[in-house]
Amino acid sequence: MPDTQWPRFMVFQQSGEAEPLLHNGTVHAPDVEMALLNARDVFARRPEAVSMWVVPADAIYTQTREELAAGLPADPATGQPADYYVFAKFSEQTQCSYVGEVRAGSPQAAMRAAIEKFRGQDPLWWWVFPASVVVRSDAGEAGPMFAPARAKTFKDQAEYPVVTMMRQLRSKGKLDKK
Amino acid sequence: MNEAHKKALADYLIALADDELILGHRDSEWTGHAPILEEDIAFANIALDEIGHARLWYELAAELVGGDKARYPDQQVFFRPAADFRCLQLVELPKGDWAFSMLRQYLFDAFEQHRLRGLVQSQHKPLADVAARIRNEELYHLRHTRAWVPRLGQGTEESHRRMQAALDELWPYAQGLGAPLPGESEALEAKLVPSSRSLFDIWSGEVTTFLSESGLKVPPAERDVVADRAVHSEYFGALIADLQQVAQLDPEAQW
Repeated sequence: MPDTQWPRFMVFQQSGEAEPLLHNGTVHAPDVEMALLNARDVFARRPEAVSMWVVPADAIYTQTREELAAGLPADPATGQPADYYVFAKFSEQTQCSYVGEVRAGSPQAAMRAAIEKFRGQDPLWWWVFPASVVVRSDAGEAGPMFAPARAKTFKDQAEYPVVTMMRQLRSKGKLDKK
Repeated sequence: MNEAHKKALADYLIALADDELILGHRDSEWTGHAPILEEDIAFANIALDEIGHARLWYELAAELVGGDKARYPDQQVFFRPAADFRCLQLVELPKGDWAFSMLRQYLFDAFEQHRLRGLVQSQHKPLADVAARIRNEELYHLRHTRAWVPRLGQGTEESHRRMQAALDELWPYAQGLGAPLPGESEALEAKLVPSSRSLFDIWSGEVTTFLSESGLKVPPAERDVVADRAVHSEYFGALIADLQQVAQLDPEAQW
């Protein structure tokens, strides 16, 4: 089904300095700068984040395990070599995560290079995208971007007496008589 | 700080809190209705932040007047007559269209950024600390709303028309940001707060440039300025009734 909203951007997030960069989800935005702001609001309010990337979804070249079983992608006429980031999803339960970098002249060539370089890994799918399309949160702005979420208190549902009250009323059948 | 200064600073903080509360309330009216899901979440976050800032200012005021810090914010918000609120009419106006709400938020946040920079220097240490904390969140708000202004101002013919209409309507109300707040002259004397007038001059130059760069025509300054915080708009009574009705049904209820 065609997407009727704004362009999609993939959001990658790091929850701590020593933590891996993980794919966290998708946002719509009119452009990449707004995508980063939307990503912060959708994904970084809770849980924590120290760094965030957004990447236009259509700049990501994907190959699934099934597709690769039919053979490696053909390498088209190679352009100027550029740096590509490599991500992979290793199981249904884990987020697509950063694997490394390769240098190549096309997304297909980058995919071939990634599979060669990280040989022995057999993820559900691989993603490659040029480093040049990534927009990162600015370390200098980490304060306004990410610090407020850490200071936010929030009230757990169980802390509202009204929840217990409703449960008691319901158990007595008082709410079902209507 | 003597008693007169305490009273003046409390009045000032309540006016600041009222601005944040009412703006946050208007912003929250977009929840579930924003043009796209991501913006719905982003703007609901901003609304919550503003209401959270109102709470911080009310709590600081409570300490100054010897009120119960835990109960004072709710008393001010839910049990105060509409006529006693000291917000600007700028924040009372109905949410309008998306252009109107974004532009109002930008104009307000741009001013608040300068005010907070001044408040961080306050001689009243608890105020300076809270201002520093709020400022971090407000930097992000400003970044978000600032991003919208040129996109709507120079987006399509329709978005430009809506932004220009919003600016024409908001401008006289936004001039009210430069008027001194209740208690300001005494608090200013004691170096507790910055001068709204001097902040206004910086703000005015800055937003005029930014709005012009965003393809908008800034109306002539100081025309029909709406600045008196003791006078409320025709919309305010209904807003307060909406805000207070549930709390007033059962003031002792535990939620």
